[in-house]
Amino acid sequence: MAHGAVGARDPSVTTAATDSVSVVRDRIVDAGQRGVGLRVVGRGAWLDAGRPVQSSETISIESLTGITEYIPGDLTLTARAGTTLAEIRAASAEHGQWLALDPHGSDSGTIGATVATGSAGPLLTYFGRPRDLVLGLEFVSGRGVVARGGGRVVKNVAGFDLTRLFAGSWGTLGVITEVTVRLHARPEADETIAIGIAAELAAQRVRQLLRRLPFTPYACEVVNEPLAQALLGRAETTVLVRMGGNAEAVRAQRASFAELGDPQPVDTTIWEQLRSVEPTAAIVFRLSRVPSEITRVWDAALSVARACPGTLVHATPTRGIVRCIVPSASPQLTDAYRAITSVKRIGERLTMDLWQECPPSNSAGDIPSRVKHTFDPHGVLNPGILGDFA
Amino acid sequence: MTTVAPPPPSNEIDQSLADRLAEIVGARRVLFRPSELLTYTADALPSYHKRPGLAVFPGTRDEVIAVVRELAQRGIPFVPRGAGTGLSGGALADGVVLIGLNRLTRILSVDAENGFAVVEPGVVNVALSRAVAAHGLHYAPDPSSQAACTIGGNVAENAGGPHCLKYGVTTNHILALRVLLPNGEIVNLGGVDGETEGYDLVGAFVGSEGCFGIALEITVRLSRNPEAIRTLLADFMTLDAAAHAVTAIVATGIIPAALEMIDQATIRAVESSIYAAGYPTDAAAALLIELDGALAGIEVDVATVEALCRANGARTVRVARDETERLKLWQGRKKAFGAMGRVASHLVVQDAVVPRTKLPEVLAEINRIGEKNRVRVCNVFHAGDGNLHPNIPYSASDADETARVHTAMKEIMAACVRFGGTITGEHGVGLDKIDYMNLIFSPDSLATMCSLREVFDPQRRSNPGKVVPTHSCREWHMAPSARATQA
Repeated sequence: MAHGAVGARDPSVTTAATDSVSVVRDRIVDAGQRGVGLRVVGRGAWLDAGRPVQSSETISIESLTGITEYIPGDLTLTARAGTTLAEIRAASAEHGQWLALDPHGSDSGTIGATVATGSAGPLLTYFGRPRDLVLGLEFVSGRGVVARGGGRVVKNVAGFDLTRLFAGSWGTLGVITEVTVRLHARPEADETIAIGIAAELAAQRVRQLLRRLPFTPYACEVVNEPLAQALLGRAETTVLVRMGGNAEAVRAQRASFAELGDPQPVDTTIWEQLRSVEPTAAIVFRLSRVPSEITRVWDAALSVARACPGTLVHATPTRGIVRCIVPSASPQLTDAYRAITSVKRIGERLTMDLWQECPPSNSAGDIPSRVKHTFDPHGVLNPGILGDFA
Repeated sequence: MTTVAPPPPSNEIDQSLADRLAEIVGARRVLFRPSELLTYTADALPSYHKRPGLAVFPGTRDEVIAVVRELAQRGIPFVPRGAGTGLSGGALADGVVLIGLNRLTRILSVDAENGFAVVEPGVVNVALSRAVAAHGLHYAPDPSSQAACTIGGNVAENAGGPHCLKYGVTTNHILALRVLLPNGEIVNLGGVDGETEGYDLVGAFVGSEGCFGIALEITVRLSRNPEAIRTLLADFMTLDAAAHAVTAIVATGIIPAALEMIDQATIRAVESSIYAAGYPTDAAAALLIELDGALAGIEVDVATVEALCRANGARTVRVARDETERLKLWQGRKKAFGAMGRVASHLVVQDAVVPRTKLPEVLAEINRIGEKNRVRVCNVFHAGDGNLHPNIPYSASDADETARVHTAMKEIMAACVRFGGTITGEHGVGLDKIDYMNLIFSPDSLATMCSLREVFDPQRRSNPGKVVPTHSCREWHMAPSARATQA
């Protein structure tokens, strides 16, 4: 899976490797007939994410690997779902290109899991989410039907959009077996700076500056003191900015952040550190509101950090999102989590009692449950991971 | 789930229905006589004519809801329609009720701070950008019909436009939707918070071509106006050279705001029209390239793009000196199809997408197909994303020519698919491309799409007969579940 670099592989998982689409289909059909649920597994690195899955068996796409088509001139790449982000990174780097997705965890996760979970990291600020970078996919639905959505070209409106429906559906509608993604050419300059800043109103100050700037940085995260300590060895609330473009543009971009403080160049590898900073056992969740209310979200996150020492916090000001990484579960965390009532909470890895604190939100009537029933009528795939209806 | 079984689909469009709808929207807003309905028998694609059984034009959200609920009670199919500028026959109603949404033109709210606006479906694309211009914002997707087309229609078609190369198509700009389902229920999809949970139903709805229901309220993302814009015109003596320049530019990592190709036939049509933009009429092709963003560094990118054009054989590269010249260059491109109107009475436009690297080969193949069928194929298209718009001017009164045009179009489509492309990049499937769907999707994929439609519209009453061939949907009821239990 895309998350969990430290490899929280569940030892109880029996890896029934599935090396072809037909094997995936047969497993799903068989499970449907026997009435058992299947936990869909990529590399198995993030199995503790999402709500607990009620299933006794797993279906792995780990051996469904390999890049099946890569045409650098088209900036498109097609890979089987079990292909790791690292393989895609290596192949595209040879041609001065990249897949601009950096989900939390590491590149040892698979493209299938990244798309299925809709996971995006700091590059979200400029490049968007998997839904914005996936051009097409193949899947085996819970009915055992092999189908495709989208295509391999960068623009396509043929047919209903199964691709976006599947991006972020957490494997509950079908098992993704192949994905086509849009790549980007690497820019001439790709630089990162760090700026120390006062903790109070930090996220809001950064957001207001970004609104005035004539460009959007590749990434911009505000990290709290313990996280800055872990990444940079200094306990000071810090803004990390990643800028890309031609050298002259990046030089000007860097200068425009000077009003926040003293921009210090840091190595781009800091982003890999940020992605993989969370301990295996950490409780992880995101908080969000509309971007203009980032201060409420930031304050809510800091209140968790005060209650639970060692909590790592990073904010994406342009998107109104703050991510909290709490070292371990505790009664203090439960209380602090419960006290967050005015911002949206999205769990990544929670304990059972915390999951119960955040029922799935839905304003779409019975549409989600009917989507689920249409694609997976026997409830075979990842039952429970999205909450009640799934 | 619906607890009461809906009435079976019906086609009883009679005076009693007209009277009832007139009670909701007013008698003037219901068209029932065949002569009144003539205006609504076609969209912007002249090849298809279908007469609605009745047309109704609600003026408020509540009227739309009342109309749709009335139709649901009677089991009558309907087709939602915006401005009728579509190019796929998608908004044609064949004997069913046409619901015109072009009177719902209110911009309900603008949140400049967070960069979004909530609009009714009948808001005209360019009117939205004008309304938010004072905030330094605009709505990015810019179909060539933006002066007339509506946001609701854009959502239905997942509309594109020249600037989608950098900024994405409609689906990248829709945050939330309030949708009236064909059974009269209202659901809310998506949201404006930083994160939304659950299935991406906004993603599923955008581009559903009116088959999933009616978007009553649309929350769109607004984009910041760029600090600097540079527009270049490069002309080439061969199509091939222009196509190679496109690939070279994209490979640099510079993402132009737009990268359009205009071939000689189109250049000449434009230059002999009132939209004359100063394109060189002896060039085989011209590229219209726009770079935008921060001022700092933009001239470096301009120089890079100019050098790449020259390295690939550009004869001249001209950078628009001011806004007037820039708009003039764009006018020629945006009005190209209008200019073709001078050449012949009718025009068919295709909308295939091919991998960018295949552009030289595909353009050569299209040329061969045109010669073989003795038709003149013109090309003006979004080269940066390989989105071709081969178009053929012809006279519909000439049956032989019309037949040759349609043969050529079919062959062009088949060629684009053969080169790894798709059948529509931004115009939608509608009626026009429904027969091509099985070129790119398996029966199981089509059946799966049909099943998704039935989540929103179990009776398939909304825009019946569009997008997915009906026979694919019938297969769904039998095959997949049967297969699942047999296998």
